[in-house]
Amino acid sequence: MSHNTASKQAILAALGQSSINQLNQKPDLSGLKSSALLQADLINRFEKGLASVTGELVYPDDDNSFDLLKGNVAQLISQGMQVISLVDGIQGNQLMPMQPHELKHIDYAIIQARFAVAENGAIWVDSEQLNGINTNTHRVLPFICENLIMVLNKDNIVATMHDAPEKMHLHAGDFGTFIAGPSKTADIEQALVVGAHGAFSLKVYLI
Amino acid sequence: MNMKIALFIPCLVNQMMPDVAIATLSLLEKLGHQVIFPEGQTCCGQPMTNSGCFNEARNTTLKLLNAFKGVECDAIVCPAASCLVAAKENFHEFDQSQEAQDVINKLYELTEFLHDIAPIASFKHKFEHTISLQMSCHGLRMLSLATPSESMGPQFNKVEAVLQNIPGINIVYPAPRDECCGFGGTFAVDEGAVSAKMGKDKAHAHAATHAQYVVGFDPSCLLHLDGMIRRQLLPIQTRHIAQIIDAAL
Amino acid sequence: MYQSKSHADNATIFCRDENRVDWHSKALWNLREKRDRAAASVPEWEQLRQLGSEIKLHTLSHLGDYLCQFEQKCIENGIQVHWAKDAIEHNAIALKILSTHSVKKLVKSKSMLTEECHLNPFLEKHGIEVIDTDLGERIIQLNNQPPSHIVVPAIHMKKEEVGELFHQKLNTPKGESDPTRLTRAARKHLRDQFLSADAAMTGVNMAIADLGAVVVCTNEGNADMGANLPKLQIHSMGIDKIVPDAESAMVLLRMLARNAIGQPITTYSSFYRGSKADGEMHIIIVDNGRTDIMQDKILAESLKCIRCGGCLNTCPVYRRSGGFSYNYTIPGPIGIAVGAQHDESNTIPWACTLCGSCSYVCPTKVPLDKIIAHHRRLKAEQGKLPFGKKYYMPAVGKLMSSPTLLNCAMGSARLALKVIPHSLIKPFSGAWGQYRELPVSPKSSFDTWYKQHKASNKEAK
Repeated sequence: MSHNTASKQAILAALGQSSINQLNQKPDLSGLKSSALLQADLINRFEKGLASVTGELVYPDDDNSFDLLKGNVAQLISQGMQVISLVDGIQGNQLMPMQPHELKHIDYAIIQARFAVAENGAIWVDSEQLNGINTNTHRVLPFICENLIMVLNKDNIVATMHDAPEKMHLHAGDFGTFIAGPSKTADIEQALVVGAHGAFSLKVYLI
Repeated sequence: MNMKIALFIPCLVNQMMPDVAIATLSLLEKLGHQVIFPEGQTCCGQPMTNSGCFNEARNTTLKLLNAFKGVECDAIVCPAASCLVAAKENFHEFDQSQEAQDVINKLYELTEFLHDIAPIASFKHKFEHTISLQMSCHGLRMLSLATPSESMGPQFNKVEAVLQNIPGINIVYPAPRDECCGFGGTFAVDEGAVSAKMGKDKAHAHAATHAQYVVGFDPSCLLHLDGMIRRQLLPIQTRHIAQIIDAAL
Repeated sequence: MYQSKSHADNATIFCRDENRVDWHSKALWNLREKRDRAAASVPEWEQLRQLGSEIKLHTLSHLGDYLCQFEQKCIENGIQVHWAKDAIEHNAIALKILSTHSVKKLVKSKSMLTEECHLNPFLEKHGIEVIDTDLGERIIQLNNQPPSHIVVPAIHMKKEEVGELFHQKLNTPKGESDPTRLTRAARKHLRDQFLSADAAMTGVNMAIADLGAVVVCTNEGNADMGANLPKLQIHSMGIDKIVPDAESAMVLLRMLARNAIGQPITTYSSFYRGSKADGEMHIIIVDNGRTDIMQDKILAESLKCIRCGGCLNTCPVYRRSGGFSYNYTIPGPIGIAVGAQHDESNTIPWACTLCGSCSYVCPTKVPLDKIIAHHRRLKAEQGKLPFGKKYYMPAVGKLMSSPTLLNCAMGSARLALKVIPHSLIKPFSGAWGQYRELPVSPKSSFDTWYKQHKASNKEAK
């Protein structure tokens, strides 16, 4: 719905008299997309990018991070942690509550990443992942949990942000977000503090 | 290549730092150029235009431009980057004739001239000192004498390229490398406290390099730094690039 | 605040505590150095700046079309779109939406636009509790101050001062000044606010026209924590925030955090293309003087700004005069560019040496030094010159245009410098002599020397 159409018309009328050259062309951005890179190279770059935003990559030599994650989750649960999982095959000990506010007790949330960006360690999650295994979840989950665990398929790493738009799957009405590491702030004398409002830690299991 | 060069000596250099003009004349003559000094040169108008006062700048700018109009020469060389930038901009602002454009096309700052147009083949004398380069803003960011520290583009440095062939010279930089010294024309009086703090920081940064000289291409910044250095009793002196080059030729 | 004073007067007060100036300057220079390293790590950095500039210029030159497309797409996504000519209208719209939902408590994440509109005091006057949730913003809100920087709003405060403030307001132990422990206390305090808020409001980093989506970037996660808990979310944006598509947004996103604080990207870059289930999403599109700025083609380029704050960090004057010396919500070079018309002291365009560092730092190539110089010209044309320039500039112009007059004047100045003891001149030499030694007087001017030199050369021949 559109409101205040009188103001809208006034703004549009004022813009009609703007002094900026109307001939400014939209630049061609297609050349910015990356050429194909080797998977090993992308993984390497992503690990560096993720480390630069204080995230941690889990990618054991035996290539079996999924089982490793399963074991780690079981251990977290045995330590009394509240774990919620939206990843197929990983069982948490908490169900999705009715109200988003009830997620405040979650110690660990496990979420499937759609893809990741090597240059800056950012991981894209959108409504489809957040809805997980047919559960209607809350958008706030990756922000309100104390610690975040992401599962990323190693085929789903792109080199730079220019490669992201075609993989984003941001449908009408949806929500999606790039998450680069745990929440942080440096608002007090520029001292970096990890864990501002959101997660204290971010681990990415590469499968 | 010997050229006929007209000197453009800005009012500040003419009045307060004649040694810089004398060194410029001398070094250009040593390089075999014929040098003339057209009469009737006035201020480039920068103090006024930088204050927004274009009407007040018109007369002096046009008089300076007239001093060069019709003067037979291959190049007009100026040992003050900031004044040169202002002259270029103001000549164009107040006179869009072809005659004015002909003058503008011949205008060079001294370093620029010695780098782009008539490079120095060799130096005769040693200069066995460490110098800390004062990369003044207008020469750096408007005349592109070097890549500013903000830019990630191609790296070049015309000032260093001209000076580094002097036998024995050791070139260093203050930290931060190219922050403004705080002169800024009337800024030095309009914003006295900030200008002074910037100048003090810059003077100390140059002194911290343990160089014997602060060397620059902009006399006004050097004048400001000289006043700061002497007030702070720092063991370093200011020199214009023309003085260093002239002594080495 | 020091409202109607000149920037120079405010700066003089700030400069009295030199240790603090050094501390402030160093903290910001630290960000500039981080920015340099981050920019250098992207080989195509200068190409991105050029593209960033072209994207913004193109969008601004077709802004009416893009705004209409954006609105249409938003409506298709179920988002309600409001238009506000100015701050008053913006605030009234926000209040109306909040009142309709009987909102008692609003959590806000950083928005320079709502600062510009002075939204907080307006809502508080109408009985709505407003909580700023960015840590820096919360600190200055508790301290009853406006932001002193657009990205790091509490950069002017020392950790001991934050510690004392938190002790009084949040009950932290007396003397606690450790940034980690203070941040933990703020986290706990703000989490309670998030969980009890009735609505959330955020600024907008980019608005994507062909998606009908807004992009909100934070490091702390406060915008997303806020917007995704209560049913009602409101996003305020200036008309200049539009970009055509996601591809364009990516160019700017690659530079935004790198240029701001040297991070490769903000921790959270969230794309809202509709409300949460059962929720309501509103976008307020605000002009508030931006279409006026667009009438002047030099000033118009200031609207290419993406508010990274890089120009503040590099500005040698901002670092040594502080964010509160500019008489405007936004300080530093970009603050002068977009705020000079509002400055009643008519001095902020002169709070600049025209060194040009900001223009080279800017990720969208806003020609800040040219815009600032242009503001001086506009002020002069409006007869609003500061520092007595109106009276002395014509005299200077006259003096400078006459070689004879100038020679006489400078000749007497040289003579004065030579014959009068400097201790006597200093009090009359103003700001120059207060901080610097006066120049050493040369024997004669160059032109006098040249005439003699030429004469003796001729004799020799």
